[in-house]
Amino acid sequence: MAYAASTNHIACAFSMVEMLSVLYRHHLRLGDACNDPSRDCLIVSKGHAVMAQYACLYELGWLEDAALKNYLKDGTELTGECDAHVPGLEVSSGSLGHGFNVGIGMALAMKRQKTDRRVYAILGDGECNEGSIWEGLLFASQQKLSNLLVIVDANGFQGLGRTSSILNLESLEAKFTAFGFETLTVNGHDIIALNEAIAQLVASSHPGPRAIIAQTIKGYGVSFMQDDNAWHYKSLTKETYEAALKEIETS
Amino acid sequence: MRNALSTSLIAAAKRDERVVVLTGDHGYSLFAPYLKECPDQFINCGIAEQNMVSVAAGLAKSGFRPVVYALSAFVPNRVFEQIKLDICYEELPVLLIGDGAGVVYSTLGSCHHNTEDISALRALPEMRILSPGDAFEVTAALDLAFATGAPTYLRMGKGDLGPVHSSSLQLQWGELVPVKRGAGELALIATGAMLSSTLELSNQFDGVSVWSAPCLKPLKAASLLRAVEPHQVVATLEEHNILGGLGGIVTEILSEHRPLPVCRIGIPDRYSKMTGSYNYLMKEHQLDFDSKLTRLKGFMQQHGFLKKAG
Repeated sequence: MAYAASTNHIACAFSMVEMLSVLYRHHLRLGDACNDPSRDCLIVSKGHAVMAQYACLYELGWLEDAALKNYLKDGTELTGECDAHVPGLEVSSGSLGHGFNVGIGMALAMKRQKTDRRVYAILGDGECNEGSIWEGLLFASQQKLSNLLVIVDANGFQGLGRTSSILNLESLEAKFTAFGFETLTVNGHDIIALNEAIAQLVASSHPGPRAIIAQTIKGYGVSFMQDDNAWHYKSLTKETYEAALKEIETS
Repeated sequence: MRNALSTSLIAAAKRDERVVVLTGDHGYSLFAPYLKECPDQFINCGIAEQNMVSVAAGLAKSGFRPVVYALSAFVPNRVFEQIKLDICYEELPVLLIGDGAGVVYSTLGSCHHNTEDISALRALPEMRILSPGDAFEVTAALDLAFATGAPTYLRMGKGDLGPVHSSSLQLQWGELVPVKRGAGELALIATGAMLSSTLELSNQFDGVSVWSAPCLKPLKAASLLRAVEPHQVVATLEEHNILGGLGGIVTEILSEHRPLPVCRIGIPDRYSKMTGSYNYLMKEHQLDFDSKLTRLKGFMQQHGFLKKAG
């Protein structure tokens, strides 16, 4: 998909593959269709990583083969950022610090409607530069949104470098805890650990929202992309595409 | 006007349990009656407007009918992108109420003035803009907004200038509202807080028509063309930058269908220079009665309709 469209943001998508997989396989109660009114909602607030979510929508049968093959071609529907007009995507989140807050509104609605629906929101750590994120954390805590679970894809990088060298966010766990979230830190590529952390937080009696700081590696899964921020922007060539595919297939 | 707003909000919330009012920690006295009647349909979101507007979008996506209230200097100005992406792009039924538009908070200075909201929001597809000119128009505007359920901005200007209409009325999207009909040279079209002084001003000219523009987007070309039909020159009056507001809307439409000279009376693309009362700032921006009269007379003379005095 990324190769066919010669697009970027590949590494940003790779760091959250495991959390998407665990959420879609084990936690999201999606109902019968992508717009089932009783569904849990997954907000991918770091909308530039949407390619990983397209792959999930394809696996769910909500996206056609052709949609992936024609990705970003003229006159097609899938965009390079998460877009709520695509069935199965909840928010338009390419502008950072938007999707999370819309998701908070959805979680608030679910609570006021006295349903047991939940909102899961994946945030980028770079995205946490945005002031609206911190407004949202205050609000979610104040409203005791126990049906909201945030996963921060803490891959340690943002557009132009390491998050620690641009606007240092450490400690994210201490910050989320201080804002009233029950917070766990796990290896974001360890499917078992992620699964257990989500299950534990969902089952918790904590009266407010929950968060997981998922420590991840940008570009995880392809040795030459891992921890190399150039792959925030680089597109695949024929050689790098084949090499990456070989690594993923044999892993 | 604020009483009409309060009454309408209470009625809407009682009529429809999906209505929920969100405020950015504004509305100290405004919401006292509402809170007494509908305490469960009210959320103070704190001084955090970006989150508030996105939360309103999330509530609307999930079946609620949120009403966001703040000073207009903050909603819409501070949250333009949230309005664009979270509300308009998804065509959500969120009603944004920006209070104190124009230079109502005169002595607080430019941080609390707002003379650019109409111009900014007009460029957002799906956005509807209401700008009522008296209490009757406030009630009618809210009725229209609640009945429609689309992205809507209601601009509340100075609210204590008295009634213009004599009884309740109904508004329709895109339609100007007649206040006074004449068949002379000049048509006056005013919006919001400028409406009552425009009516006063109209007595200085013969055969003038006065139209209120409580609905700025959409404004139907047919409605405007009907309003100016017997006239040869038009003046627009608004407590907003002359760029992109009512004056812009009217000139855009007329230039395409019936090019007429249009005198755009409004804030002349500048910030307030000095501090002072509302009336002082009206003078500073040449929006007081005498300045407007002089300007209009000059405009009429320029187009050959009034003889120069003496």
